[in-house]
Amino acid sequence: MEEKVEGGDEFANRSYERVCDDMFRDTGLTSNIDSVHMYCNAAEHVFIISVVIGRAPSPVKVWDITLREGNKLRITDEKYAPKLLALLWDRYGERVKQISRLIIELELTEEEIAKLSDLIVYDPREDLTSRIFDGIDRIIPEGARVRYPMPSAEGITIIASENPIAEEWKEKAKEVMSEMTSSKGGT
Amino acid sequence: MMYKIVMFKGGVYKFNELKETVEDIGGFILQEMVMQTETMMHLAFPEGEEQRIRAKAKELGGKLKGLPLAGTEIMVVVPSLGGHHAVYPMCDIAEFLRRNGAITNMMGLARGVGKRIAQMTVQEKAIIDECDAAVFVFGNFKECIEEKEKLCEMIDVPYIIVGGPPDLDLAHYIGGIGRRTRRMNRKGDIDKLEEMTAAFSSVLDERREEIEEDPLAASPLFIKEMIEMTLPPKAGEEFPLVLHLDGLRVKIEEEDEERVRDIEVGKRKLSEICEIEKSEYEGHLLKILPEAVSGGVF
Repeated sequence: MEEKVEGGDEFANRSYERVCDDMFRDTGLTSNIDSVHMYCNAAEHVFIISVVIGRAPSPVKVWDITLREGNKLRITDEKYAPKLLALLWDRYGERVKQISRLIIELELTEEEIAKLSDLIVYDPREDLTSRIFDGIDRIIPEGARVRYPMPSAEGITIIASENPIAEEWKEKAKEVMSEMTSSKGGT
Repeated sequence: MMYKIVMFKGGVYKFNELKETVEDIGGFILQEMVMQTETMMHLAFPEGEEQRIRAKAKELGGKLKGLPLAGTEIMVVVPSLGGHHAVYPMCDIAEFLRRNGAITNMMGLARGVGKRIAQMTVQEKAIIDECDAAVFVFGNFKECIEEKEKLCEMIDVPYIIVGGPPDLDLAHYIGGIGRRTRRMNRKGDIDKLEEMTAAFSSVLDERREEIEEDPLAASPLFIKEMIEMTLPPKAGEEFPLVLHLDGLRVKIEEEDEERVRDIEVGKRKLSEICEIEKSEYEGHLLKILPEAVSGGVF
């Protein structure tokens, strides 16, 4: 992940580069984000942050987190257990039973069990945007509560301020965004 | 009389002798904690008697550490109690002040965030003014700090502003402690916190000297002991009596209020030598009157 912060004085830029880095690491997004570009104008109280989304991890399927033992499934990654159970109960109802903490009993036909392998338990892409929004929320100064999001195919750009957002800042945000995407195309 | 407050750390062996020495020379035990074989005590004693205490501590094999901020209550004020300011640097600052003897409170302003929109309510100001000093914790943008300084100017008690930019031409400002995402445990960070403590300690010393010139009817340390004799601390109560430079914060039940008023200090009643009022924040505030106003207690 690349960070670039501009617009403030040297100290502010440097410290916000660090804040960006730490916050995205805390939210576990560093590997999903290509680059972050932040523009800070504290005098006018406008903050623009533009994030280019990189690759998201591939979806987690039932076979990735379970082992089949006859007509039973043993959960190997308990982190996904609630999502897996919710999915199976939703599809097969009472024919799926959780008989102990990590063991699931299936009363399904062979065909149905074969189909299980394709079921997606969790797709990280689903909540990627909301996780990025969460990260951005933690970075932008708390006072900047007026937000203007500008989603694009490559990523997310947000203008934040404590004042109503003027046209010139929307122009500036577009500039920041196009700079980002062009630099991405160049590399 | 000026008191010196220090922390004693050592073993339990004969530590009662130290307590007796402190009491013999007219000092006070402010806090005492015995953890198995370790003890920690905050002691106050008349400044001239330091040598006796040092000799006793040496004899017991313990250590003495000066507490420059002891006997004061300091408010740590942040723009909000959200994740942008907590845990770092807010708790680092408070912890450091406590290590130097102060009792700290933390306060998140209701509408303290932003630049133009930052405000402080009258009640918030009153609560801050109840303490001996305050520290305002701001962020990393110089423009915002300059704007927010106006909020702090309303405060009557001594205050310090801490923020990120290292060199800002503001009164009472210390840079290098701005918004951060990591604990302040590096050498450079600790130096900054020490700089802040030194600034507090010099401004509080000035205040102590002012009080010394127009002495109080009785020392807050003495009144604390008198209150404790009448109303012993209840189990599970933490710091029911907080020392201020010129009074005390007394956290008592409503029904005990009258008993506190009637406590005898020398030949006078507490209500005669103190202004007692309900705090905006917690408990009651006792402001001890100068001896010149209330007359002596003996």
